[in-house]
Formats: sequence, C-alpha cells, structure tokens
Amino acid sequence: MAMQVKERPVPNGVVLELTGDLTYANREQFKTAVEAVRQKGCRHLILNMSDVRFVDSSGLGLLALVSQNFKLSQGKVSMLKPQSYVREIMSLANIQKLIPVYDNEQEALTGHQRAA
Amino acid sequence: MSTSPHLTAPSNTKENEVQTVLVVDDEPTARIALAARLKRLGYRVIEAVDGKSGLSALRRERPDLTILDWVMPEIDGPSFCEQVRQDHELRTSQILMMTSNDQPEQIAEGLARGADDFLSKAASKYEIMARVQSGMRAASLIRRLEDVTEEIRRKQATLERELQSAARYVESLLPAPGIVLPGIQMVHAYRPSLGLGGDLFNIISWGEGVLGLYLLDASGHGVSSALRSAALSTFLRRGNLLRHVGSTDPGAILTEANKQFPLTEDGNYFTIVFARLDIRARTLSYATAGHNGAFLQRSSGDFCWMAQPNLPLGFDGSTIYVTTDLTIAPGDRLYLLSDGLYEVPDQNSELWGQDRLEETIRQFGCRPLTDVVSGAIAEAIRWQGHEQFPDDVALMGIEVTDRVV
Repeated sequence: MAMQVKERPVPNGVVLELTGDLTYANREQFKTAVEAVRQKGCRHLILNMSDVRFVDSSGLGLLALVSQNFKLSQGKVSMLKPQSYVREIMSLANIQKLIPVYDNEQEALTGHQRAA
Repeated sequence: MSTSPHLTAPSNTKENEVQTVLVVDDEPTARIALAARLKRLGYRVIEAVDGKSGLSALRRERPDLTILDWVMPEIDGPSFCEQVRQDHELRTSQILMMTSNDQPEQIAEGLARGADDFLSKAASKYEIMARVQSGMRAASLIRRLEDVTEEIRRKQATLERELQSAARYVESLLPAPGIVLPGIQMVHAYRPSLGLGGDLFNIISWGEGVLGLYLLDASGHGVSSALRSAALSTFLRRGNLLRHVGSTDPGAILTEANKQFPLTEDGNYFTIVFARLDIRARTLSYATAGHNGAFLQRSSGDFCWMAQPNLPLGFDGSTIYVTTDLTIAPGDRLYLLSDGLYEVPDQNSELWGQDRLEETIRQFGCRPLTDVVSGAIAEAIRWQGHEQFPDDVALMGIEVTDRVV
C-alpha cells in the first residue's frame, strides 16, 4: 500500500501524519518528507503512526536513520500511537530505545519539553 | 527531378547508410518505373517479380521498406502480408501496399491482413514519396527498438552471469555440513531469493572444543546486501576477531561489530545471532542484535527461543550487547535461521510464523537433523504454495550428539 504523508506544525515541532505502509517500496517518499522537515530546522519530529499498518525491515532501518539524523542536528524524533502489530515489530528490535513512543500528542510534546 | 524540399533525400537514414526498398510487383512497367523513381531519391532498390520471390528477397535482404502490389498470381499482396506477420523473423517488416482498387473496404482489408500503410496506384508522385518516407521513419524506429532490445538482452545476460559468479562466491563462504567438531553435527539450508543473498552463516573454530556460530541477515536484497554480508563475514573471521575484539564472547563481538558497521545512508543494517558452544563446559552462550531467529530444542522436546529485545547492528553505536548463557546436554539441537524462513505468506497473506515453524520441528521428534532441516524448508514452501521465497532463507541446525566425552 502506498504511503501518504501530511505535515502539521505544532509548538516546537512538526507532526507527520503517516498513512499506509512504511516499507521498502515507500522509502523514498518517507525519506523526502522527513528530510524536508529537518532542513527547515525542525527540532522535534513527531511521527503519527496510527494509520500505519505495516513496517518492514527497511522501514525499521529508516526509522533508525531518521532518529540518527535528527540527533546530529540536535533534534529528536518521537512516535505517536503505533498499531499493535507495528508496536510489536518495533519492540522486538528495541526501537523505542531510540524513538520514544507516546499514546497522545500532548504527552509527546511535553516529553520533549521535559527533555529540553 | 522535383525541387520540392520534402522529396530531395530519404529521411531518417542512419548516418552514411543507404536505406533499401524492396518492390514486389508482377507488372514490369509499374515496377521498373517505381524502382527508378526510388533510386533517384537515393534508395537502394531490390525488385521481385512475384510474391514468392518477394518473400525470399525479404528474408535475404531485410529491406527497410517493402512496397507490394495487391494483385499478383499465387501469393497476392494480402497473403504476402499474412505470411510476413506470422513469421517470427520478418514480422516487424514495414509494408506499403499498392493497388488501383482503393475502395475503403479494400483498404481496411489490406490493413487488417497486415499492411502498414496503403497507397493508390493513382497517387501523385509526391504522395508516393511522402508515404515511402513515412514508412522509412517507422522502419527506423522499429529497427532502433530492436537494436536497443538486443543490447538490453545482451547486457542482462552479462549481468546475470556476473550475479551467478558472485552467488557462487557467496555460497563458497558457507561452511561444509557434517561433523564440525567431535560431538557436534551441523546441517544447513540456504535459499537466496534473487540468486544472490544477504543472509550468511558460518562456524568459527575457537579450539579446545569451543565453536563460534553465527547467522546474519542484511536488510534489503540482492547485490548490495550480499556485498555488505560478505564484508561482515570477513570481519567475523577467527583471526580478525581475536585481533580486534580479543575475545570469543558473543556480546563483546557484537558490540565491536556494531561500531564497525553503522547504518548505511539508505538505512540498511544487519540483524545477527552469534553463539559460542563450549562442548566440554556444556554451555551455549549467545548474543543477538535485532535477530529473532534462534532457538534451542532440548532433548526433552522443550523449546527455548533465544530472543533478546536488542537493537540491530548500526542503530546506535553506543549499544553494549550482553551475552546470555544456557546449559546444553547431548541430544540438544540448536537452530539459527533468518526470518525469511517463517515470514512467508500463504494465498491469504497469512504468515507461516514462528509458532508453526516450532510445531513443524516438534513433529519431527528425534528424526535425523538432515530430515528436520529439509522438512522445515519443504513445509514453508508448502505453506506459500510455490518454491520461490520472497526473502532470503537460511537455516542452520546444530546437534550436540551423545558421543561427547
């Protein structure tokens, strides 16, 4: 399934609303969208995963890459409401160690403020 | 000769190459007149006096364009076209059919039976020449397409030969099955999805009854993941590990490999399970990096999945991978595998999954290890309904035999 990405500014960050699968086939689209946000100087990227059904091994690598790239530019990445299957895939690879997972947007934002 | 700018030279000629027209007409006057006109325009002309000799000239000379009379004895124009279109070698020939009977129904029939264009014998010389040039343009395009297709086919064949050679190299890196150490038997199966795979496994002899074992899975498929796998397997050679890690401890080895193999710029990485089997101390030590495909089947039948929720290699350079220890006994079997074995979908996209894999292996009981390994692969194939795995598949089975002293 193709991926749709919608960008929404929030205080001190940007939410990317992702719809579709985060997979090898959609990697360029995801990378481009994230890179555009990072280039604009965004310090906190929040990936809303509630409409993402599937993440494959390439998708996991992209999430790690995005997290590393934001760290390099003194930013951070958080994740919002992953579906249970995606959450399971990510916990097997311990992704939440790199990208904190939140169940609502306010927590994601305040998590950032506490960290900052 | 006309001075019209449209008629002074053949169009679309390949550089320095004269284009050839075959004129097939049993009526000598018309044929000779047309041939002379075409020659004056710079084309090379071949003449044929009937359909049969026209077909053999077409086969022999492969002209750029054939101009064909409709009414001829034996093989008439439309039958000529039909034979050409059914012939694998000739089917792309450009054919311009001429007749004095240019009723719309006849034009339609001529085109339907295989002519590319149609021309009335009453047409002006300008129209005739314009149609010849148009036919030549089409012929050039078709020829170019055929050349490019042939070029692609040749390059593809070269690339496939190179891939096969690379695949043979990767397979040469795999260990030979059999008794790998007194008291330890190993069997494996390896099924790359694209001929060249990103899964690799191997055995390292640490000496004194101690064996290192690993199975790695590079994300992605094909050439780039195979290259990265080969690079990591070179890093994991005995001499290199002793030099750079100075330890046979799986956790220490993965901690160092994690530093040496960061994420690629495309976000590619490895998952790996690394184990250390000490046959005298009867311990199995292991560490995993994002890899869930490893389990121990006790001689009692119990299963112990060796899962540690750890980051794959390259995700975070500061990760410390920790070793877990298990005791082993004769009759225990260790399986290292890539997720490509159990993440195979059936017709309804339902994955075979770890539970069914475990059940399959359980049902084999204490049948020989070779049967279990080939049986697990066969069952995954049965589930997906075809031989071709969507991802690389690797499975290594190790049995601690009861002949250990």
